[in-house]
Amino acid sequence: MSGHEPSQPGSHTFDYKHVGGRFLGLVALAIVAYALVAFGAISNKEQFAFSYLFAFFFFFTICMGGLFWQLVHHAVDAEWSVVVRRQMENLASLLIVMGVLFIPLIFVAPTLWTWMTVDPAHDIILGEKSAYLNKEFFWIRAGFYFFFFTLASLWLRGNSIKQDAEGAAKFTLRNRKITFASLPLFAVCLTFAAIDWLMGLDYHWFSTMWGVYIFAGTALSSLCVIVLIITALRNVGYFQNVISLEHYHIMGKLMLAFTIFWAYIGFSQYMLIWYANIPEETIYFLRRNTETWQLMSTAMVVGHFFVPFLLLLSNFGKKRPGFLCGMALWILTMHMLDMYVIVLPALHKAGVHLHWLDVACVVAIGCTLAAVFLKRLGSAPLWPLRDPRLAKSIALKN
Amino acid sequence: MNAVGNTNAPVYGVAAEFQCARDLYHAAEKIRDAGFEKWDVFSPFPIHGMDEAMGLKRSILGKLVFLGGLTGFLTAVTMEFGTSSFLYPLIVAGKPTNLFTVPAFFPVMFELTILLSAFTAVFGMLILNGLPRLNHQLFNWDRFKKVTEDKFFVAIEARDQKFSTRSVSDFLESLGATNITTIHGD
Repeated sequence: MSGHEPSQPGSHTFDYKHVGGRFLGLVALAIVAYALVAFGAISNKEQFAFSYLFAFFFFFTICMGGLFWQLVHHAVDAEWSVVVRRQMENLASLLIVMGVLFIPLIFVAPTLWTWMTVDPAHDIILGEKSAYLNKEFFWIRAGFYFFFFTLASLWLRGNSIKQDAEGAAKFTLRNRKITFASLPLFAVCLTFAAIDWLMGLDYHWFSTMWGVYIFAGTALSSLCVIVLIITALRNVGYFQNVISLEHYHIMGKLMLAFTIFWAYIGFSQYMLIWYANIPEETIYFLRRNTETWQLMSTAMVVGHFFVPFLLLLSNFGKKRPGFLCGMALWILTMHMLDMYVIVLPALHKAGVHLHWLDVACVVAIGCTLAAVFLKRLGSAPLWPLRDPRLAKSIALKN
Repeated sequence: MNAVGNTNAPVYGVAAEFQCARDLYHAAEKIRDAGFEKWDVFSPFPIHGMDEAMGLKRSILGKLVFLGGLTGFLTAVTMEFGTSSFLYPLIVAGKPTNLFTVPAFFPVMFELTILLSAFTAVFGMLILNGLPRLNHQLFNWDRFKKVTEDKFFVAIEARDQKFSTRSVSDFLESLGATNITTIHGD
């Protein structure tokens, strides 16, 4: 991107010259990846189901985080995040695409969520859970999640864009009301989506901290993506005199906070199950802490917590966009590993078994989302131009 | 020039009054540039950017807190592993002492790290601020009570190397301060 002339300072519309032919490259890559995924789905349905769920949920958490940060912004009437809010909105607006990308999972549902194939009368544990774990309710829930995610994200973004044109404060107030209605629903929907799609991979197993564990990774990973997006846009000349190193400082602090939060929740979940030592619960960690899966679990403890924690602890890197981007990429890799260790052991019980479909699914979904995101990027100003708090947000001082 | 307190007692410093936060802010910049070191400003509310205007360095408190936290962590490690792994090894719930039983020790490590960090932060902050103390020389000055209401003050202390009552009060006057007063101890 460095070959291009930087845009004029203050330019707030994304110019597609920065992307150029790469957009078509992205689409082509997505099409190739989908062709491969389709081939894989026919030749190895089981592997496809799990690889796809892994990739799907990885990107789903990132988009959900966009919605989360935006809701927090409105709920607490935040000042600093005004300038980065549009990127959160763009990220959250991809949730409608996630809804479409969920469709392949419908066809492999019985492979993934084996309780669908078991008669509750023959399995006493499933029988007890059948009021919740039945097909009708499951699909109604899934439909409701995406209905709500799409409605909330597009509505908030729509109001925010309308404000760019009209400049009325009523849109800020309206978005705040939408937020107060959405926050509890967001928490419930994310929790139960995680329970339905991930915990449901083993319907005997349960963890009461599952929702909050997934949420911790959600908030952290999408913050990392926001840092990367902002930096990429800054590097080609946008956000000059809008986003300063002070904003980076805040995002760095939040990255540290959510790194610690993830570890706190992850460890608490592990410790409660490990200490209680009930076979019904320990099966989850038993599988992930034995055979070659153990290497990945251990790598996550070090890589997802200790490395970012120690590197982000001091003030050193928080005001260095390059350093923060490095950390963001690292954490995203670890988040992907986290999702991998959650989903794939349900299929490969004997140990790690990497498959090309894992990569193909990530590339397919990732390219799709990146392409739609680029579309969204140009469809609205890069930051809320007439938000009442914009001036204060730009003048941010820590 | 006024003088308050016991005029036989040593001089604490020279204090002066400003009418608004902006005047105080700009006065602070000039006092900083004049090279004074032992001085402080007082206002009814925090003023953003005052740290820089005063030329305050980054507090060492953060480093102290890190050391406090490290002490807590190492205390927990020593007490837990020392007792249950070496001095009197315990096998609890079928879990012998090895690397995989470390999780049982984590909560204590975590809590002690947090506890000593928090203690260092709170008490370190108090000590660095010279608190708690029962009285302060500035309280000898009646006008200073307005600092909790609507007036802004600056005080340059006598222990500053560049201090002399005459020159400091002239300097403060040149900054537009009013009610310049010499503060004595009790």
